[in-house]
Amino acid sequence: MEREVVPWDNPEPLSGPIGVPLVDLLDRVLATGVVISGDLVIAIADVPLVRLSLHALLSSVNERVPAPWADGGPL
Amino acid sequence: MTERGLEQDAGGSALYVFAVCNAPDPAVFARLPGVAAGVPLRRLRFGELTAIVQTVRAADFTDEVLQIRMSDRDELERYARAHHDVVSAAAWSCPTVPLPLATLYHGEERARQALLEETGRFVAALRRTAGHSEWGVKVYAAESRVPEPSPEPPSGTQAVRSRPAPGAGLAYLERKRGVQAQRERRHEDALQLAETVDAAFQNLAAAGRRLRLHAPERGGKGHVQVLNATYLVADRRATEFEALARRLRDATGARIDMSGPWVPYSFVGEV
Repeated sequence: MEREVVPWDNPEPLSGPIGVPLVDLLDRVLATGVVISGDLVIAIADVPLVRLSLHALLSSVNERVPAPWADGGPL
Repeated sequence: MTERGLEQDAGGSALYVFAVCNAPDPAVFARLPGVAAGVPLRRLRFGELTAIVQTVRAADFTDEVLQIRMSDRDELERYARAHHDVVSAAAWSCPTVPLPLATLYHGEERARQALLEETGRFVAALRRTAGHSEWGVKVYAAESRVPEPSPEPPSGTQAVRSRPAPGAGLAYLERKRGVQAQRERRHEDALQLAETVDAAFQNLAAAGRRLRLHAPERGGKGHVQVLNATYLVADRRATEFEALARRLRDATGARIDMSGPWVPYSFVGEV
């Protein structure tokens, strides 16, 4: 997959689809890739609590349900 | 699960690993923020390969903090996109193996050691995905012309307002049976549609995987997702792949959404 390096001024140099829906992105960044053991978090998808909240989140992503943390959530 | 050693080290730093490549050009990610604002991304050489890494505050990546961040939709989105941007930028300059979100080490030496141990898997993944990209395919059942039938007669018509006609109970039962039969038929059609489309794409792809189906859009147009799959496709066959999607759309009448090319996230893990 050797590709020409595009100068940074190009606003769309990346190989991933631009503006890809979050739900499609999460399908890929969460549970895939070469999973190797880290020191801090072994794999996000393997942490039960995180998985639970993600599960709740993912099932609501497409449903336009106002998230309970919409107001006053941590940031 | 999680190593608790981190909490003693909460004030310290950790090394976040985004991806592993052959020889990335640092210029492609020089201006990306990564997951820690103000800290430049850099390369970490291990053996014959190079990882793209960033020093982060360990305290930002404890279980508790991650859980809070990932429960917030905006925060999760920012984080996932930041990770994806780095992976995509790296892949732009050389073949790349993405790592999942939140692969972190206590320091450079630990990271180098852990990555070195996995060199075989990285090399195998790079070999398998060379010259290929990932393409996502989502299929939605064709919108039925009739709205979801209801066991009640259509509301708002005079029939509802008038008194039940003789035989109304029987008619009700028959309608109910009809609804059930129709639902089963639609379900079978949807499964069949998913199989047909998947088989056609598999035929062209080097590999394919089915991902979890997405929840239906509430208030949407009644489109139900019947297939969420992703395929590893040789770059030289990408146009064939898109042409196939068009043909399948015409042949089935289904909505078929494509996404890609992606860095082959879904095809680097299986060795």
